[in-house]
Amino acid sequence: MEAANGNAGSAATAQNGQQEAESGFRLKFCTVCASNQNRSMEGHLRLAQANYPVISFGTGSLVRLPGPTITQPNVYKFNETSYDSIYRELEAKDPRLYRANGLLNMLGRNRVIKWGPERWQDWQVGMPRVKHETDQGSVGMEAGVPDIVITCEERCWDAVVDDLLNRGSPLNRPVHVINIDIKDNHQDASIGGRAIVDLADSLNKAALEEREKVGAAVFDAGGAASRANFDERVPEVLGEWQERWPGLPSTWTLSWF
Amino acid sequence: MAADATSTPSAASNNAAAISVAEQLEQLGAARKLVLETPTYYDRIVKGVLPIIGPTAPLALRRWGAEFLAESLATPVLAMRDKENITVAVLDTLRGLLDGAAEDAIVLKACVAAAASAYPVALRWIIHNSYHTESWEQMSAIKSRILRIWDGAPTPVRLSCIKFAQRVVLAQTASNGMEQKYGGLDISLNMIPANHPILDPRQLEAEATGLLDRMLGVLQDNSSDALLVDATLNCLSILTRTRPNTSNRILNTVLNFNPLKLANSPMTPKTKVLIRSLEKTTRMFLTHLLRRDPNNPLSGRIQQYVERLMRSRAEIFDEAGRKRALADQAAASYGDAKRQKVEASAPLFSIPPLGPGPHTLAGVFTLTDNLGLQAFDVAQLPANLTAMVSVRTLASLDEKILDLAVSGIRDRLTSLYAAGAAAAAAAQPAVINAATAPLGVEEEDDDYEPDLTPAEDTEQILNKLDNAPPEEPMEPAVDASAALALGPFTLPPPLTLDAEVATKLCQTAAARLFWPLSTLKESGAVRKPKAGINRLAASSYDRDSWLTLVTRLATRSTAGLDGGDGGPGSGIKSEQEAVLDRAARVSLGDSIREMLFTYILEDWRRRIEIAVAWLCEEWYNDQLTKRNNSGGELHYEKCALRLVDGFLSYITAQDKVLTRFLAEIPELSRPLLGKLKGLCADPTTVQLALTSLLYLVMMRPPVREIALDTVAEIWTEHEDARPLAAKYLVKWRPGFVESQTQGSGSGAPPANTAIAT
Repeated sequence: MEAANGNAGSAATAQNGQQEAESGFRLKFCTVCASNQNRSMEGHLRLAQANYPVISFGTGSLVRLPGPTITQPNVYKFNETSYDSIYRELEAKDPRLYRANGLLNMLGRNRVIKWGPERWQDWQVGMPRVKHETDQGSVGMEAGVPDIVITCEERCWDAVVDDLLNRGSPLNRPVHVINIDIKDNHQDASIGGRAIVDLADSLNKAALEEREKVGAAVFDAGGAASRANFDERVPEVLGEWQERWPGLPSTWTLSWF
Repeated sequence: MAADATSTPSAASNNAAAISVAEQLEQLGAARKLVLETPTYYDRIVKGVLPIIGPTAPLALRRWGAEFLAESLATPVLAMRDKENITVAVLDTLRGLLDGAAEDAIVLKACVAAAASAYPVALRWIIHNSYHTESWEQMSAIKSRILRIWDGAPTPVRLSCIKFAQRVVLAQTASNGMEQKYGGLDISLNMIPANHPILDPRQLEAEATGLLDRMLGVLQDNSSDALLVDATLNCLSILTRTRPNTSNRILNTVLNFNPLKLANSPMTPKTKVLIRSLEKTTRMFLTHLLRRDPNNPLSGRIQQYVERLMRSRAEIFDEAGRKRALADQAAASYGDAKRQKVEASAPLFSIPPLGPGPHTLAGVFTLTDNLGLQAFDVAQLPANLTAMVSVRTLASLDEKILDLAVSGIRDRLTSLYAAGAAAAAAAQPAVINAATAPLGVEEEDDDYEPDLTPAEDTEQILNKLDNAPPEEPMEPAVDASAALALGPFTLPPPLTLDAEVATKLCQTAAARLFWPLSTLKESGAVRKPKAGINRLAASSYDRDSWLTLVTRLATRSTAGLDGGDGGPGSGIKSEQEAVLDRAARVSLGDSIREMLFTYILEDWRRRIEIAVAWLCEEWYNDQLTKRNNSGGELHYEKCALRLVDGFLSYITAQDKVLTRFLAEIPELSRPLLGKLKGLCADPTTVQLALTSLLYLVMMRPPVREIALDTVAEIWTEHEDARPLAAKYLVKWRPGFVESQTQGSGSGAPPANTAIAT
């Protein structure tokens, strides 16, 4: 096996590899909303387009989409229903209504991002996601463990943090869980998506700086605190981001997978 | 690619070394991808990469290697046995990397994380393989190295150290078995036997206690380093829940922690994030525990703490909160673009005044512009459907719209009236057609009071609509206006009833009395005993009450009206008799009696009580009739005989209700008891008949003689019943049997036998 890989090596790919190891570093993201349809998928798409490894989940018990009236939502099961099947079902039900309220447009976008809505609580952290090659943002996400979880609503953040407490952190891997309050409509989701990418860029920049600087410097048991590292800079980066996006209140904690 | 190379001159200058490192990284990346796809390769590949990523390897490789080890030791895809193999194999490399005097923080962070995953696995290994002391020595060395660098390390490394300490505490304290069995979370002090050659449980537990204190130090110091506090709080939950010995210590520390201490410092964007994070993380941790373990002895304190925390936070972020509220209000007043309110913009329809020319009455009341709807004749619909639609519509109709419609129609009528008055002044009033003249339009207009409730307006409209003639144009305008202007309306005289119709109506009326019975509830069994003699006949609106009403209607409503000839009520009666043919007539009372009889017999075993109640009413009414000497018909005996006849044909040996029925009805007669003789023809019901009679003999002295006579008759007539009848007769009428048997020689018995057989 090693021999086979050795044959594949060439100067060009080696330089490319070096490039990836140094400046090509990408933080891995996870976006979470209630139904894994609107806000988390907008974030998923934007992050994937910005070349970040990304996965997305919903924390609700079921996928709920608006129906003809407020008391008749369209309800689907997580992990078992594809965006495509929901799209086709709603299109058959009432194409005018669901085109007019933007659902078909949203589902049409989602079905080219990944197969279907996934539930956070059912997700086994660290299970390799090698079967998701066609998902957007799957490159770099093969190990199935993100560095940053971004939720789009306070109660989703609560659900995520509570679920992580419940799981008992078997992987011993730190994760920054950040909430950004985004209203659940298409327009605000779009604004939120931009804000998420802005935050991702800011965080990734800090992480990249850490990898470059600390790589050159040596660890000094006494005075290392002089150089701020990525984890420490997260609240600072978030605070600066909040100044740029005052309409999207945020919450942050460091939790464990 | 070329641009990339030129943009990083340092990489280009170090070409010789860089190529080999990059090449290796690429190979390693491919190997990692392989194990992710095929976990069975983990063992080979992890062991294979160890020489490449050791302490002497270039930094990039050490980073990659440390992160790969952390990932591999944590992966959930491997079973515990595979994990043990890998763990034991990597300890040496891990120790080497950690021991590096000036190791990179990223390498250290990943190595400590890997050690945290390795620790419980290594402990489990040594529990079961105590001969393999080498691996435990290495693990112990790693542990002491990590605990040594913990305090002075950069924050990311310290985070991992906290987690490592947490795993040590988890593995070295007694479990309550509540944890999930994965990821080594279930490895605890319980697994270590007291006589283990290498491990001393007491020593391990003491070490765990010490480490927990060290972990909690960050909270005790009331640190404002949100990163360390969050990392600590977020890994304490499983200890509190599954390691009872740590629970009190942790909770007391957390409850003494003040996450809002930072609030006194100047509010920069960063401190805001930190305060919010500390407060929210503390609160999440406590509410999580409250939810999982509401019976915790400390839950009262936790509750108080959480509430206090929320209040303090509200005060601190008050200003921000108020700003947000204002912003929200502003947004609300401008309206949400996505959820526009429909009510506000609902168009209030207008009612066009009528043009000149003739109008149908329907036209006057037509509000819709829709031609199809205008042509629709409501009279086609069945009345009950119309009623349903009207009621539904009225229930849901907006009051404003109704008012608008009513006033619109009123304006139309006023204008019509004005036009009509003008025309009437000019022309001769036309003959009024009673059938087509609008009903009370004039009075309607004059009597109209604006204060009337909408409901009344509605009724008025409905009445008018109901009485609206089929749509056909009225007489020419003059006639129409005259008709509108004039005409006191008189009700058409009622049709004269002939006997047949009256009888039918009586029957219909009687039948309708029984409709509610199927839907009414049984009366509650609870209140029955209380009723007693003071009960009110029909006050509870249940089925019993209704039946009382029915029986009284049957017996008393027309008593004395349709009774016999002459008497005090004759004034009314003779009038009726003038109208109705007495012979063909079935009175209302009799109709109800008939239905009551059918109703009881439908399920006579359960409705025997109703029968008794009915007969009581009949009896009472008969007594009144007798007292008045009105000579009215007496019903009790007839009804009782009919009922007994009715159910005797269905009776079986088990039907004790017969006994009860006979005991409870107010009066017994010879003919009535004589019916029981029929039962004795069937050997299965002999006992029932005789027992019922015996009960009467014993419990109803007034009828004792009649009952005994009946028993005697049974003895005489039915030979099969003789043994039992004789037994009763011997006791209650001594000498009877003897006197009969003495006379048996004379030839009466043969005759009896003949009857009996």
